[in-house]
Amino acid sequence: MIQRTQGARRAGWLALVAAAGLALAGCSGPADGGAAGDPVEGGTITVAIDSDVASQFDVHVSAADISALVLRNVFDSLVVQDADGSFQPWLAASWEISPDGLEYTFHLREGVTFQDGEPFDAEAVKLNLDRAANPDTKSQYAAALLGGDAYAGTEVVDDRTVVVSLNRPYAPLLQGLSTTYLGFFSPAVLESSADQLAAGGPGITVGTGPWILDRYVEGQEIAFTKNPDYDWAPANALHTGPVHPDELVYRILPEGSVRAGALTSGEIDVASNVSPSDVPTLQADPAITISSVNAPGLPWSIFLNHSTGLFQEQPIRKAFQLGIDIGSAVDAVYDGLYERAWSVLSPTTPNAYDASVEGTWEYDPDEAGRLLDEAGWTELDSEGYRTKDGQRLSVHWVATQTREDRASLVDAFQADLKKIGFELVVDRLDVGGYLDQLFGGTYDIVDWSFVRSDGDILRLHLYSEFAPIQNASFVDDPQVDDWVVAASESTDDAERAELYAQVQQWAVEDAAIVPVYIPGNITASGSAIGGLRADITGWPLLYDAWTTKGQ
Amino acid sequence: MRYLPRLVGALVVLWGAATLAFLVLKLVPGDPVAIMLGAQTQASDAVKARIREDLGLDRPPFEQYFGYLGRILLLDFGTSYRLQRPVSDVIGAQLPSTLALTGAAIVLALLIALVIAITARGRVSRAVASVLELLVISSPGFWTGLLLLTLFSFQLHWFPVSGGQGLAALVLPAITLALPIAGLLSQLLRHGLDSANAQPFVTSVLARGLGPVQLLARHTLRHAALPATTFAAYIVGALLGGAVIVEQLFGRPGIGRVALEAITNRDLPVVMALVFLAAAVFVVINLIVDALYPLLDPRLRSAR
Repeated sequence: MIQRTQGARRAGWLALVAAAGLALAGCSGPADGGAAGDPVEGGTITVAIDSDVASQFDVHVSAADISALVLRNVFDSLVVQDADGSFQPWLAASWEISPDGLEYTFHLREGVTFQDGEPFDAEAVKLNLDRAANPDTKSQYAAALLGGDAYAGTEVVDDRTVVVSLNRPYAPLLQGLSTTYLGFFSPAVLESSADQLAAGGPGITVGTGPWILDRYVEGQEIAFTKNPDYDWAPANALHTGPVHPDELVYRILPEGSVRAGALTSGEIDVASNVSPSDVPTLQADPAITISSVNAPGLPWSIFLNHSTGLFQEQPIRKAFQLGIDIGSAVDAVYDGLYERAWSVLSPTTPNAYDASVEGTWEYDPDEAGRLLDEAGWTELDSEGYRTKDGQRLSVHWVATQTREDRASLVDAFQADLKKIGFELVVDRLDVGGYLDQLFGGTYDIVDWSFVRSDGDILRLHLYSEFAPIQNASFVDDPQVDDWVVAASESTDDAERAELYAQVQQWAVEDAAIVPVYIPGNITASGSAIGGLRADITGWPLLYDAWTTKGQ
Repeated sequence: MRYLPRLVGALVVLWGAATLAFLVLKLVPGDPVAIMLGAQTQASDAVKARIREDLGLDRPPFEQYFGYLGRILLLDFGTSYRLQRPVSDVIGAQLPSTLALTGAAIVLALLIALVIAITARGRVSRAVASVLELLVISSPGFWTGLLLLTLFSFQLHWFPVSGGQGLAALVLPAITLALPIAGLLSQLLRHGLDSANAQPFVTSVLARGLGPVQLLARHTLRHAALPATTFAAYIVGALLGGAVIVEQLFGRPGIGRVALEAITNRDLPVVMALVFLAAAVFVVINLIVDALYPLLDPRLRSAR
């Protein structure tokens, strides 16, 4: 689940000055729609999204968030991950994991059919999973969710039973299987339309889901109609059977303030990906319900490069970590909308978060200064920055175009560090220049967040062989490697949580990654909408939703 | 045969534009495959190598350059890296939407400019017109559009934001795009009318007994149109550039959005085709303008 950096994201002009003191009341937990009472049948729900799915309709290939968000309506998964992180039945009625963690046996639900009438059976599961893993598919994400080279293959036992085999244990497999990226195409379209799956379209983008792709107008909208035969909802859904409305339309509105405005005017019913700066305007409208779910995974974090320059020394990293006032900056910029992060994992990451690190590394400029003194950075130059052997204490933050709110955070950190004589230079580059530096490892600092509802995100970001992507800090510590690999291979939740707790405590001490705030997925909906839920990552789920507009 | 040098000139412009676009895209830092996959990609190295190979990016730059040029000659712009579809399809599908937008905008701009230039003849009205022109020319399109949206869509609900809602959805984007151009045209027309009115021929025309309407329609407006015509290429540029912003803001499909996506994603074939298309449009506009001058001003006919 990749958070794409959108060059064109601007601050919402409608909320030029975010009104202070507007605490976001009730902004956690799954979204509940505004309309009270019983579900209503019929009508159309219109949802605004920020980018097009153009040529990203093949969920086995695409790594884009938007593919998974929109195509969740077409593709069901074997299992569903509930908000508490537990896995529940969906297309698989039950499953067993072998004691060595190498074989996952799934017993498929009876009577499931694809939207084109093809039966959903063990053979369809094998076809799809093998396709996602096949190098010829050129998968950008689904193959990794299957465990990459850990995936050995899928075997058909009988019509209703499949066994997914692994070369080595890979505990996050169920989480991967619960995502849209490992959804199931009808075997008929895999056969007949293989070269059109990326382009997508009615009759091509065909799964088992509750919504059938009806029309796609590039750059404008993606429309779905009700699948009247649907009777295999995930176990955690609010209802069973077909969806309530007749039609579901996604409108592509790239500007955040336009999505917000179109919602207040009633032109759309749901706005996804609401930018924080539009929240005060929306809150002022009593007809609008706002929900925000803290995204699981890696918070928005600052990666300090271990492999080059000043950050090779732990005391300098620690001085940086203690020398920036994260709490005040996050409060000032987000005004309570997003929480500051204490750990390299978000608190909503299931079976992995270690709350004990909270409050253990408060802003401490004095201690930061002491560490720098000890490291020999004692002289000051004419601009007030520390020097050692004639060299200035200066680091470069390499960034590409970013959201304005994050740029404000960087400005605040720059000012904090100046106070302790530590220079922070921000190099804003275009995507190409940024990626060159990133892959070359020639930066002191880069930043990002990574949404995933599994602690395995820590292996991705800390395992020595993954530098610099995603181990952008170039962490190379055998102890850490052992922890994250052991956790990825253990199917015991308690054992995994214990290993991840050790990693999180180590991360605070080492200051390899400085977590800043926990991003949330903000969704807003109008008063006609009920039954809107969010999945564990905060993306809106349209299966249970209804609208009173058609009445 | 007097058009031959012009034709050669036009071809040189097209070749230059295509070459420049290729050079710029090759010289700016960044690997197209890396950009396509993004910073947080989980794609394996093997997958990256496969994509590079499929796109022909593993071949030497010269081979790529001549490959492009050769295919452009046959009007084959290749396949979009990002969309994996023929570039001609990608642009062809989006072109009608942009043509509708820019067509509506230019008609609107001309109407507004004509009405202002003809009616604002008094001292006060000219001062007002002058301030308004300055305001719309200097306002960023993004801001103007959002202002219009907030008032007429979000508050008054007169027009939808965008989408396939027919003509109503075209109104606000077209106005946003038309306003700065109307401001410029109106300025040019007013000044043109002023200087035409100061010409001695006006006295003789009036002496022949023609009324003010005929004077305007047959004589002074023609003179005033000359400087405005000279700006035609600039105006087309403003339309195409403005379309990028307007399409993004209003969530309209169109080649402006295709261009934005293609440039940010280093989708070389699409960028090359768009540059080529833009250069072709400019060449054609300039040829038309050259042909129009003698029609507007008979004095230029003998100058050849």
